[in-house]
Amino acid sequence: MARFRNKKKKVFIKPVLKKKQPDVDHITGDKIPRSFVFSRGKLPGSLRQLQADLRKLMLPYTALNLKEKKRNNIKDFLNIAGPMGVTHFLMLSKTATAPYLRVARTPQGPTLTFKIQEYSLAVDVAQSQVRPRCPQDLFKNSPLIVLSGFGTGEQHLKLTTIMFQNIFPAIDVNTVKLSSCQRIVLLNYNKETKLIDFRHYSIRLQPVGISRKIRKFVQNHQVPDLRSLQDVSDFVTKAGYGSESEADEEAATVSLASDLGRVNRASTKSAVKLQEIGPRLTLHLIKIEEGLCSGGVIFSEYENHGGKKTQQEQEQEQEQEEEEEEEVEEEMVED
Amino acid sequence: MAEEAHTQEVGKGPKKRRIGHKKGSKGKKKLKVFQGNGEKVKVDKKMQKLFHKRARDYNSDDEDEEEPSPVTKDRNYQPRYKNVFDGKSSDEEGEEHQNDGMENEASEDEDGEIQPGITKFMEGCKAFRMAFKKILKKNVSDDLLGPVLSAHKKLLAEKLAEEDAERKVKGEAKKEKHLVGEKGHVKPANFLDSHEKFLIGVATKGVVKLFNAVNKAQNAQKGLNPSRFKDAKAIRKRRKDAFFSELGKTSSQAPGTLTMASTSTGTVDGETPSWAPLHDGYMLTNPKLKNWDKMQETTVADDDIGRMSSDSSSEDVD
Repeated sequence: MARFRNKKKKVFIKPVLKKKQPDVDHITGDKIPRSFVFSRGKLPGSLRQLQADLRKLMLPYTALNLKEKKRNNIKDFLNIAGPMGVTHFLMLSKTATAPYLRVARTPQGPTLTFKIQEYSLAVDVAQSQVRPRCPQDLFKNSPLIVLSGFGTGEQHLKLTTIMFQNIFPAIDVNTVKLSSCQRIVLLNYNKETKLIDFRHYSIRLQPVGISRKIRKFVQNHQVPDLRSLQDVSDFVTKAGYGSESEADEEAATVSLASDLGRVNRASTKSAVKLQEIGPRLTLHLIKIEEGLCSGGVIFSEYENHGGKKTQQEQEQEQEQEEEEEEEVEEEMVED
Repeated sequence: MAEEAHTQEVGKGPKKRRIGHKKGSKGKKKLKVFQGNGEKVKVDKKMQKLFHKRARDYNSDDEDEEEPSPVTKDRNYQPRYKNVFDGKSSDEEGEEHQNDGMENEASEDEDGEIQPGITKFMEGCKAFRMAFKKILKKNVSDDLLGPVLSAHKKLLAEKLAEEDAERKVKGEAKKEKHLVGEKGHVKPANFLDSHEKFLIGVATKGVVKLFNAVNKAQNAQKGLNPSRFKDAKAIRKRRKDAFFSELGKTSSQAPGTLTMASTSTGTVDGETPSWAPLHDGYMLTNPKLKNWDKMQETTVADDDIGRMSSDSSSEDVD
């Protein structure tokens, strides 16, 4: 007799077709770093917003809508990180004294712990500007990263540099398209205060030596207002008043390798203009751990690291203990 | 409540009266369904009077009757019901309402049985107007609490004060929590201060450096078709030259203060080296690469071959 089949029918789940992001850059062959930005513990509203901003900053190789639950621990994220090819974790947490940002490499570490001295959200930055700028494809490419002031020769700073350099995909100078360079992340280390300024700017290119009127005309496709002019030629010849930023443009001019948009031609010089997008952070590196949020402390700003000791120290201690034991034994023999 | 009972029926316990009322309302509902059609017209004044009389009798008669039979109840309550719909008041009840209009109305409202038809609409209006006027005329003391109807004015005041204090404490706690949550949150100023300008300058320098490097590298390939073998060879050679020239520059400098990290870097954990050996000059020309496994951890941006590092700039930031 045929046995009854298990009545439980398997629910057919439609396989989700996803356009998979390549793991490896198809030109340079480098592995593309990916990141998770999540929080440990409950965050107040403004910090949650900061987390969202950071996720946006890490685009496109990050999980923008990563859902987290109270009971999720780092192990959970780590388990997913493997198959998803996630290489970096950015963890926000909050204590009574200050919010903290931990930047970690998966799966083995190291982990850098930053104390966030001050922060401003992207919204705040946009509010402070008269004309905040956000072109459509701003977040379609990963940002460039500029590290400045880290070359003091100290080991922990070197590690920090490496960490942040690897957080974004490398670009190949020979093949990179200039149109994909839209954003830049700046990390500036201040030797005196030991603080790291973290800024996020959008890059804009403007042709040099062309009056504002003509530039706008070319950009906007709008019929210009010619009421005040006597002749059409005035529109071209009459130079608008130069802005004060024009003076320091000299240093910021580049000649492009290829045409970029309608306005910026390879043949002409272009000025680089940066506008802040936010978020804005002032970080203070306080601790570096060997493992992922665990392990020996490589560096600590405050020397007493609460009971945790580096492996070297532990080894030394063990040796000391052994020696003591030996001494004791010797004494016993003598007796 | 007691007052109401007095005005309507003398010597009746309020509870019993209430029960009767409720029953009545149930009966009314039934009637509503049955009678709504044609009989409305037939009731004239004479009949009405009769009905009222009957109703009075009924009210005074069965004081002790807990549950009047549905038939009699129906009959007796019919006129009342009619009144409700016609909007005419009986003599008796109208008088009552004129005497102590407001009170009765209010008490009836309290009962939950709103019988708007018992008083004439106009009269009810008047009564309400008067009551309202009375209230409005009243001089309200300039107390913190405002007018209090309760007899226990003191108690009420105490309670309110307590509540107020409680709310204050709660609000303070909330504010404190919010402050702790907002710690470190700074709204940026509307203008660019010197520090921000300096940072933008640094970032701009970085971008300019990269763009120039890109320009240099990509201009070299211009006019050459990478698919043709001959051109590809030339491109490779040029790249190599450019790279080594760049490398020489950077090695002569002390660890640069400004690092353009976007160029590919020697990775920390050795994930990419599988690729590096595919390049032509791997480990041949650069003497720095003797201890390559150690170098990867220490050097920053210059180890990768086949790519040009735009790492440069010796200018001191500080």
